[in-house]
Formats: sequence, C-alpha cells, structure tokens
Amino acid sequence: MSSVPGADKKSKLLVYSIEECPVCGQKTKRAFVVGDYVTKEAAKCTKCSNQTRVSLVYAESSKPSG
Amino acid sequence: MFNFSSVVLQVPFDTTSLISVFWIGFIVITFFYQTRLQSYLALNDISRGLNKLKVMKDKSRKEAIEYLVSVGKAPNDPTQRVDQFLDYVTIMPVDIDPAGLVGKIDHVVTTNNDRVRAEVGALLSQNNPVTVSISENLLEVATSLNMIHKIVRHFYLLGKKTNSYFTLIQLQMLMPMIIQEADALLNAVDSFKMGQPVGDGIGPVVVSKLMAGKEKRVVAKDTVMSMTEYKGRKLYVLKADGPMAYVGQPGVAIRKVVEEMGVKPSAIVMIDAALKLEGEKTGEIAEGVGAAIGGIGVEKFQIEEVATKNSIPLYAILVKQSILEAITVMRKEIAEAADKVTQVLNRVIEEKTKEGDEVLVAGIGNTLGVAQ
Repeated sequence: MSSVPGADKKSKLLVYSIEECPVCGQKTKRAFVVGDYVTKEAAKCTKCSNQTRVSLVYAESSKPSG
Repeated sequence: MFNFSSVVLQVPFDTTSLISVFWIGFIVITFFYQTRLQSYLALNDISRGLNKLKVMKDKSRKEAIEYLVSVGKAPNDPTQRVDQFLDYVTIMPVDIDPAGLVGKIDHVVTTNNDRVRAEVGALLSQNNPVTVSISENLLEVATSLNMIHKIVRHFYLLGKKTNSYFTLIQLQMLMPMIIQEADALLNAVDSFKMGQPVGDGIGPVVVSKLMAGKEKRVVAKDTVMSMTEYKGRKLYVLKADGPMAYVGQPGVAIRKVVEEMGVKPSAIVMIDAALKLEGEKTGEIAEGVGAAIGGIGVEKFQIEEVATKNSIPLYAILVKQSILEAITVMRKEIAEAADKVTQVLNRVIEEKTKEGDEVLVAGIGNTLGVAQ
C-alpha cells in the first residue's frame, strides 16, 4: 500500500482507489496500486457484473478520525 | 592623604547593590550590543534552516535521478545532465515597455517547456508520455528547491558578510514559511513518482466525469475537449490530457473554441483548486466570477481577453486547500468535494443559461492520475 507522511508529520496517509460501477453505482474501496488513474477500467462489479471504473483516488489519515 | 581602601570599605556591598550593579551593566551591554547579539542568533537560526533546505534539495535531486534510471530506463548515467538542468535559467522579457508583454512571456515559457520535454525525452530510453511528464515534474521540483536554497544562501552570506542586521532579521522571519513551501515541494515528489492525482487535480476530476465515454479531440497542446449535453444546453468541456502530469493550455484552447470553431458560449465556467486561508476548511467550495486559473498569468490573460472581447460571462468554482494539499496526493476531503462541485456546476448552468445555449466548462489544474 502506498503511504505518504501526513500534514502533521505524526500520521501517515494511506492512499485508496475507489472503483464505481456506472450501472448500479456500487462503490468498492481498495488500496491504490501504481498504474491506477481516474476513469481506468477496473474489476467487474460484484453486484451486477458490469465493468467498473476507478472514480476517485485519494489519501486519508491512518489515525482514526474523531 | 587619600586612602582608597578605606573608601572602598565604606561602600555598602550588600546583595541589593550587587543586583543593581548587575542590572545596570546588563542594560548598558544590551544597549550597545543588542543588534549584534540578535544578528548572531538570527545567523544560527538561518544556518539551521539552510541546512534543512540543502537536505531537501539533495533529496529531490537524488529522487529525480533514481526515477530517470529505474522507471525511465535512462541508457546512460543522467547525473551530469540533471545537474546542468537544475541550473538552467529562463530569462523573462523586458517589461519597461509593457505593450505585448504577455505574448513575449508566453513565447519564452513555451520555448522553455518544449526544451524541457525534449531534453527529458532524450534522457530516457522510452517515450511513455506518463513517465516523461512525471520526469518533467520531478525535475521541476528539484529545480525549484535548488533555486530556493541558492537564494536563501545568497542572503544569508550577504547578511553575514555585511553584518546587515535588517537583512538577517527579515530572512529569519521568512524562514518558517520558506521551509514550509520547500517541505510541500519535497512531499510532492512521492505523489508524482507514484502517478497519484494531486489536490490541484480536482478540476480535472470533475470534468473527467463529464467527458467519460465521449469522443475527445485535441484543441491545444496537451489539452482535450469533449461535447456533452445538460438539460438542453450543449456543453463543451475541456481539461489537460490525462493521466499525464500536464496542465495543458486552457487559454489557447478557449480562444480556439470561441474564435476558430465558431462556438458562441453563453457562459464559461472554470473549476479550479484555490489556496485556502488559515482557518478555512480543506474541501470547502467557493463560487465567484472571473478566470479561475493560477500560474504566471499568460493563460489567465488569454481567457479574460477572449471573454471580454466576446462578452462572455466568466464563472468560477473553487475548492479550497493548502499549498501542501494542492501538490501532494489528493486528500479525501478534496476528492469528496467533486460531487458537490458537480451539483454547483449544474446549478450555475441552470441559473445562468437557458435551453439551447452553449456553455464552456474548463477543469483547470494538474491532471496527473486523471484520465478522461
């Protein structure tokens, strides 16, 4: 998994890719892998078997929020 | 005869008097040597910051070379060429006669960009556009850090040499902000190497959703456009060509669409990242009017000119973020603003245009990791 230092230097940021099915709208969150980009074709949808696409790539803090 | 020892013995050397003498001495010394003492402290402070900048500069250079060798498969050792690249200068045109200055700046900057891409391409043994664009960005980061280090070192040595109190104090006060910017640049290296979208890419992320599955055409260097529809309006949507780390030429693209392709947009809506002020939340959305685009000012000038000439209203949708968040991997708060930006965009289109109108939508920013 890709990780980068967070803004406060104490937390690490973990990077995720979100796969979204254009038909049923189901979203799946998984760890980012090099080569991922927004609109890239991803795995088949587990709900309706249609082709999903990476809709977002983002980082969030590894520290639990709140 | 005067007996000095008897006078001394008569002076009352109690504790209070000693403290008074100490304070009087302290005040006299600080009165005459205060600036020297502060200069000395400032020199120490700046020296520590300068060492940090040197470490950052060396690290970014090393990372760029490693990327060129490991991912770019550079056939020869690129170290010497990279070192020459770091010291390359772009001389801005003379501005004592400002007429036509933007055109001249555009010419110089375009020449520089073309040179960088050609040189990076020549260094690598492959022409994968993503790898070439990432290499360009890594070298730009290394060049920026090299320049920051050189400028700070210049003023540090100048202040030391001339014993200039004001030079040193000003530099000392600026150091925390300089280090913060340099730190942001260094953190950007990791995101660039991995090809991850950066916070600045929020405009392209929103626009890529409108372009998905539509036919694309190149309208300017590194810039693509698609046509789509929304509630009876014809939308012309454009962004830099992803997933390469490009910003494209939105100014040239908008001018071409309006003046050469004969499109008559009723509105131009620009979506971009904007630097937040301290206290503002990351991912907050702001609306406004005007050309939402940063950079040296050439693209902004071109967009404002074509909009003014053709009386096209310019609307802006901005997503707030810090400089660190703008150039490092996109944070969740920024990515999740994409859907809200789409809602704002739809509302602006509905409110400001009517059915049958044409609307130009531009997603501004670095499109690394964001295809279309």
